[in-house]
Amino acid sequence: MSVQQPSTVEPLAALPAQTGAAPLPEWTALGPVLALVAAGLLLLLWDTVFPNRRTNTELSVIAAVGSLAALALSGWYLAAGTGRPATGGAITLFAEAITIDGLALFFTAIVASVTTLVVVASRDYLTDHETPGEFYSLVVLAAAGMALLASASSLATIFVALEMVSLPSYALVAYLKENRGSVEAGLKYFLVGAVSSAIFVFGISLVYAATGSLLLSDVAAAFGDLGDLAGVAGVGVVMMIAGFAFKTASVPVHFWAPEVYEGAPAPVSAFLSSASKAAGFAVAFRVFTEAFHLGGEVTAVGIDWALVFAVLAVVTMTLGNFAAAVQTEVKRMLAYSSIGHAGYALIGLAAISAGGSHNGAVMGASMAHLFVYGFMNTGAFLFIAMVERWGVGRTFEDYAGLGTVAPMASVAMTVFMFSLAGLPPFGGFFSKYFLFAGAVFNGFWWLAAVGALNSVLSLYYYSRVVKAIWIEDPTDALAAVDSRPTALYGAVIVAAVATVVVLPGFGPVIETAEAAATALFG
Amino acid sequence: MVAPEYYLLLAAAVFCIGLFGVLTRREALYFLMSVELMLNAANINFVAFSAYYGDLTGQVFSLFVIALAAAEVAIGIGIILVLYRNFGVTDVTVPRGMRW
Repeated sequence: MSVQQPSTVEPLAALPAQTGAAPLPEWTALGPVLALVAAGLLLLLWDTVFPNRRTNTELSVIAAVGSLAALALSGWYLAAGTGRPATGGAITLFAEAITIDGLALFFTAIVASVTTLVVVASRDYLTDHETPGEFYSLVVLAAAGMALLASASSLATIFVALEMVSLPSYALVAYLKENRGSVEAGLKYFLVGAVSSAIFVFGISLVYAATGSLLLSDVAAAFGDLGDLAGVAGVGVVMMIAGFAFKTASVPVHFWAPEVYEGAPAPVSAFLSSASKAAGFAVAFRVFTEAFHLGGEVTAVGIDWALVFAVLAVVTMTLGNFAAAVQTEVKRMLAYSSIGHAGYALIGLAAISAGGSHNGAVMGASMAHLFVYGFMNTGAFLFIAMVERWGVGRTFEDYAGLGTVAPMASVAMTVFMFSLAGLPPFGGFFSKYFLFAGAVFNGFWWLAAVGALNSVLSLYYYSRVVKAIWIEDPTDALAAVDSRPTALYGAVIVAAVATVVVLPGFGPVIETAEAAATALFG
Repeated sequence: MVAPEYYLLLAAAVFCIGLFGVLTRREALYFLMSVELMLNAANINFVAFSAYYGDLTGQVFSLFVIALAAAEVAIGIGIILVLYRNFGVTDVTVPRGMRW
């Protein structure tokens, strides 16, 4: 299963060594992915055995246990130092097609925590639907694809994992099949997604044509001396950027995001805009550092890819924030804000200079930002899920006075909004601070300046929501608020607590992320 | 043996035909066929350069791509079906409830 030399194999050494037990076998490094796959299959089985259940609590519990197990495993491995240089280096499985290292485990933890919040919240959101079994299994299997995407280190596994994420996502967006908005969103997501994945796989085929291998390490070696095929490889890399841009909702393939996040069921919007985006960044980080020499002395094909990403980052964050400022619907505003945050996270790829001493810090800060974003953005979309379930309405005016009828959730929403804007007491401030500081230290002060200006602008539209909730007078629409969906409430509160707890707990997060990113450049 | 550049040209041509179909056709089923062309253009590259390098990876991966294309079409047909039930057409330009 492994191609590593037995002498260097010392997986999971830290924890078991302390207890005196033998090291775990290598395949257990895939534990988080296996837990998600097992939960997905168990959900399908449960749904087949008990097809006529009126309640979906059991399904929700199975999905939550599976994703919590994945979260616990990846957290344990991260704490034990699995895949770190100190404990024997990255663990490779299946002839190097899969690599478990700090990056893979960190992003698996992000995906698993978002999945947990989403499946718990879906218990209330899907109360009256006929087929909740499919919904839960698709969410959990897509999460398994995302975890696999973060660990894939061959272009073949990357493409298969990417499709494992995309295909369930299309179905999830169109899940409300009687709802025209949901169907329209599903259709548009499918159309853009199918074309992007075709462009992506054509890019892979060109890279294969130029290098003769799909493994990232072999591709990297071949990129050192391409000869006549440099042009082919360059076109291939550009086409692969289009595929990553689709997954992360960044310019130039960002235009699907507002439609899809607006039309999809709100828990699915939360899932896609947090977990799917994070997984896209995970694979982009790995591919560009390991295969395409980002941050190396010699750039692939003689093009400064960091500069390409810098342009994309500036355009993405500016476009996202300006478009968000003029929206009338809260969900659509959040969709554009999600594009804006993709722009911030792109700084992790953009502010990389050849041999720069802060490369690991910048990319680590971008990973930490995606971690915090996973909680605050998921929480914000789940609050919208709650409002949708009550049937209050979608615009800023409809949200007027929500604080008087649902104070706890409104406090949580306020936390999310200020944290997304990057105000000091919350997690979003710290991740942005480290991100911009890393960019400045690496010599990209103008990138940090654009990011900071965009953050100031974003405060305007985020505070519009807070103003509507707390300051404006309640309207008649609030009569629709007649129930207390416990699971949804719980998920929103947990996300809010996580956003605040990051304040004292940010040290370990940023340290883990920076260690994982530095290992990529090492 | 045919020189590998010709395979690159053939694949690029097939890819562009597919892309042209995606951009101009309004019928959802034509869209699926055009995406299929784009994917198979990638397969031409994989198989041709697999033979060129004497390495089986590309050939095996082209089988993966074929399988994934089939899965994608299955999902696509499902979405087109609900599109037809809700809007009464399979024209992808008709649903305009949300502005781009």
